[in-house]
Amino acid sequence: MTTIDYSQELPVVEGRPTLQEINELIAKPLDTKPDKKYYIALAITLTMLLIGVIGLGLTFYYGVGMWGNNNPVGWGFPIVNFVFWVGIGHAGTLISAILFLFRQKWRNGIARFAEGMTIFAVMTAGLFPLIHVGRPWLAGYLIPYPNQHSLWVDFNSPLVWDVFAVSTYFTVSFIFWYVGLIPDLATLRDRATSKIKKTIYSIFSLGWRHSNRHWQHYEMVYLVLAGFATPLVLSVHTIVSFDFAVSILPGWHSTIFPPYFVAGAVFSGFAMVQNVLIFIRKIFNYEHIITLDTLEKMNKIIILTGSMVGYAYAMEFFTAWYSGVQPEQFTFINRAFGPYAWAYWIMVSCNVLFPQLFWIKKIRRSIPIMFVIAVLVNVGMWFERFVITVTSLSRDFLPSSWAYFKPTLVDGAILLGSFGFFFTWILLFTKSLPVVSIAEIKSVVPGAQPSHEEH
Amino acid sequence: MSDVIEYTKKKLPANWNKTGIVLFALGLILVILSFMTDVSRSSFNAVVFLTFLTSIGLGSLFWIATEYLSGAVWSTPFRRVAEFLASLLIILPLAALPSYFNLHDVFHWTHLEVVKGDAYLSAKQPYLNVPFFTIRTIAFFLIWIIFYFYITRNSLKQDTTKDQNLTKKNLRWSAIFIPIFALTITFFSIDWLMSLEPHWFSTIFGVYYFAGTALASMAAITYLVVKLNEKGYFVEGLVSDHYYSFGALLFGFLNFWAYIAFSQFLLIWYANLPEETLWFLQKWEGNWLYFSILLIIIHFVVPYFALLSQPAKMDPKRLKFMSLWILFAHYFDLYWISMPTYSEFAFMPGWIELGFIILTIGVIILVFNWKANKENLVPIGDPKLKRGIKFRL
Amino acid sequence: MSEKILYSYTALFDTPNQIIKAAKKVKEEGYTKYDVNTPYPIHGMDAAMELKPSLLPYVALVVGLTAAISMIIFLWWQNTIDYPLNIGGKPFFALPAYIPVTFEVTVLSASIATVVAMLFFVFKFPNNVHPLHDTDYMKRVSVDKYGISIQAEDPLFEAEKVKSLFNSLGASSITPIYYSDELVNFKPKILEPKFISFLIILFIVVSGATYITLNKLLFLPPYSWMMVQDKVIAQKTSDFFGGGSGMLTPVKGTVARGFLPYKFDKKPELAAKELVNPLMPVKKNIELGKTKFNIYCSPCHGYHAEGKSRLRGQFPIPPSLHSDKVRNWSDGRIYHVITEGQNVMPSYAHQLSRQERWAIVLYIRALQRSLNAKESDLQ
Repeated sequence: MTTIDYSQELPVVEGRPTLQEINELIAKPLDTKPDKKYYIALAITLTMLLIGVIGLGLTFYYGVGMWGNNNPVGWGFPIVNFVFWVGIGHAGTLISAILFLFRQKWRNGIARFAEGMTIFAVMTAGLFPLIHVGRPWLAGYLIPYPNQHSLWVDFNSPLVWDVFAVSTYFTVSFIFWYVGLIPDLATLRDRATSKIKKTIYSIFSLGWRHSNRHWQHYEMVYLVLAGFATPLVLSVHTIVSFDFAVSILPGWHSTIFPPYFVAGAVFSGFAMVQNVLIFIRKIFNYEHIITLDTLEKMNKIIILTGSMVGYAYAMEFFTAWYSGVQPEQFTFINRAFGPYAWAYWIMVSCNVLFPQLFWIKKIRRSIPIMFVIAVLVNVGMWFERFVITVTSLSRDFLPSSWAYFKPTLVDGAILLGSFGFFFTWILLFTKSLPVVSIAEIKSVVPGAQPSHEEH
Repeated sequence: MSDVIEYTKKKLPANWNKTGIVLFALGLILVILSFMTDVSRSSFNAVVFLTFLTSIGLGSLFWIATEYLSGAVWSTPFRRVAEFLASLLIILPLAALPSYFNLHDVFHWTHLEVVKGDAYLSAKQPYLNVPFFTIRTIAFFLIWIIFYFYITRNSLKQDTTKDQNLTKKNLRWSAIFIPIFALTITFFSIDWLMSLEPHWFSTIFGVYYFAGTALASMAAITYLVVKLNEKGYFVEGLVSDHYYSFGALLFGFLNFWAYIAFSQFLLIWYANLPEETLWFLQKWEGNWLYFSILLIIIHFVVPYFALLSQPAKMDPKRLKFMSLWILFAHYFDLYWISMPTYSEFAFMPGWIELGFIILTIGVIILVFNWKANKENLVPIGDPKLKRGIKFRL
Repeated sequence: MSEKILYSYTALFDTPNQIIKAAKKVKEEGYTKYDVNTPYPIHGMDAAMELKPSLLPYVALVVGLTAAISMIIFLWWQNTIDYPLNIGGKPFFALPAYIPVTFEVTVLSASIATVVAMLFFVFKFPNNVHPLHDTDYMKRVSVDKYGISIQAEDPLFEAEKVKSLFNSLGASSITPIYYSDELVNFKPKILEPKFISFLIILFIVVSGATYITLNKLLFLPPYSWMMVQDKVIAQKTSDFFGGGSGMLTPVKGTVARGFLPYKFDKKPELAAKELVNPLMPVKKNIELGKTKFNIYCSPCHGYHAEGKSRLRGQFPIPPSLHSDKVRNWSDGRIYHVITEGQNVMPSYAHQLSRQERWAIVLYIRALQRSLNAKESDLQ
């Protein structure tokens, strides 16, 4: 039994690096030319992206008939992917805003990267509604403006709420991320040697000079933004859940959907952040900045949110029985034992059962096992959206209109392409901007803050 | 600055005990009188009484477990306040008796002849029947009391032994407690509040009750901590960073409650299914309309703006006032949930309601006083205590 | 080279405790134009410098509330006044459904406003230039040193005093900062031809690109916006059938729907012999005949068919229909007159359907009967 001394605070950054060392370490990927491995990784993601582009090309040329969507299942892969990627995008703001408000210092090492991931995931997610309308070049009509047709969008429709929520989320996340970057860009500017780099950093650091008169306002703005981002991040997946839950389709109309979707989003987002961070900390030697303790804490959040999702599954089942409404009861029996039982049980085992292994401390701290579990979580969360979308639609009130949904190759290509799109951005990000916040890490290095004993 | 924390045990002010006894006696008399005049109405009030006490007691235990699990230190110096409030769990079985003896007045599904003629209710009968209901309620109380007993015992033991392993043990207890807490509080709320209207159902209801519970218990803890701190009961007292943490949690859960309440309302309002809207329609008719609008104002709008700004969250006076306000809001919320079943249209609260409120306050003061005079008010053996006192954001 | 102008004296310190102490001391000495530069925010520095709390949260509050209220008002206007539409039986002003959108707009505008306010009021955007930039001092504080800088503008500023103050605080290095030549000699060059031609080129490129995108690129095949369709367009040649016509000529003897050719052109006798009134003399038919007679026939023939024209001689007065001649005509003969016309009376075939014409015949018979009733009618 290992003993932990509860009277001491665990250091966020291990090994007491000097501030100079932190500077050099975080800026190193930006100064060095990418190596062979980087190009191999980029080639893989670009190939995936290309496959997706081919799928999209076929879709645009021949129409959405290339997909597996059929008459009752009008929402196939595109909506599943949309919800999945928006969900991935939730961890970033959660880490950077909610954990910031809770003053969890361990977030400082992973916040920047997670925010970047949020932006890329939301960009990926945003593609799918546009594709799904069939004519993406007409998507401008989703935005309400006084137009020549004297028409307004339907503000009562959750799909329009989605447009507002996702675009607001993207904008605010981007601002939040950029505001966080300003001091780091100034630090990079001051150490840049080439003139081009220096000019670029000068422009984007907005004249920052680490002045305390600026820090004061800057910290306040950061706090305000975090205060806004927190309800925003809840609202986004809540509104995504409204897409389903305001309808009267059995299996969609359930009052627990909003918190359940948010928990699921955080769950999958954390799993994705954890997956990518495992590589980042290894490749860039950030093991003492993104410590094993940090990963363990993330795993604890994964088990917490995973259990919340499990709670929601259980409550849905119980309420379906308790309600006494027959279509509702049938839907849930159909989910577990109907034609899509395979998807349902993949979902349950990946989302609820496997994360329970994190109760064991050894597993929580073993990098290979936690990686596998987090991958399974992402698989499970993708299937959760699949189960919700497809099972409810494929068998609703009228048995005469039931149909089995079968995805096509084009569906698969677009899904693969979305991963390619996302990871291409991630790769470009790691080489162009500091993936760990320099200023925030410096502020939590042991000895970085004045000791309070004086006063 | 010494490493040893100097703490001398002080008794609570004597007038607390007096106030408690007076309120308790007055409340008890009023409650007995009300049972003599109107059994049905009193039983409904007794349900509110029970669920409110559960909120405070169980919510406090939840906050204790959360502190252990999250490794929070700022709340360690005040954990005892939560522990004393959690001892309300012991008297819950007593608090349940008045409504339990009148189940027939409160719960529609106990009328077997009605259930027989109603397809929906007879389908629910395997769950909603008196024996199973009794077993569940006893099981919930038992489980909570067991967890309360072990967690507080370890914490008290630490005062003398200063053994860090006790913290670890409590961490384990808390980890087991949280999932069990989630399930028990859900089914408790379904049994005692949702099944008042047995045809109605809402998947989110457990979370709704949890939101109110966490908020109300945090408000109770905040009020007592600020009040006791004024009289210097904590070692070095609170600084603005502590106040801010209390204020931020209150504010956060205020929003969480509003979020859950709004989600539940919007989804039911939007889908407009008759089997679901009945619950809200009831609260939208007659006088209940004013209660519903007041609920939004009392439970969200006023405290939201009162606690919005950063200085407001650090202001002890405002915190004290707003925590009392929030406690009232939670009582009002539970009342709003249960009473429309008793009287569907015109309804005005009267002396019966007042009696139950007085009794609730009296019970809470007495239980807190009893524990606070028996045990140390500061967990002096806790390894996190010093960090908690020196806590800065 | 012009003479250098002093901006400030700076000092560097090694630990956060030292810089807090230094800031407090500088403040105590009464300096107002000084600043502390640190690689990350130091807890307690705002208190040490006695800075007033930031006002930026109020920007968020004011803009957020304004946005929320305006959005609700806008949605009310849009859904009840400008474009009321019943959606799912909800009221036009469906407040619960507006809350998500209102919330998003509030958050969006408040966040943007707060950041923009910080950029303009605190960072003095777009001003990006400052004497401290590009100095060794800046390069150190952005890495691991904690610096303080007292400006020459400060009324209490005296170089020697400041230096000795820094020394007494234990500064690791003390340096003066001068305005760079660029800054001193900076002249705005807005009217430079290069800049203006740049603007012109930018204008041409942007407007040209917009024009091409909106008018050409968006209409490249296969995106024809449904303007090219396989369909017949009126007054245009079509190659579908060959011969340039959009429609084929109907087969000989084709009869249009609802059209029966009139076989008794200029053959009144034959019509009188062969045509039979298909309508029964029932009230409904006679009522129809009366209506139509009063509209089309009565202006010349008079309401009772006695030849009492209301046209006051503008048109020849027709003979009475009560004459023996007409009374002895068969139904078919009268029908023929209505259909073809007679003498100056034109054809009414276009105004009156076949059924209406027969109904008129029935009505005329009724009128005739009214003046020349049979014995049996009187019984």
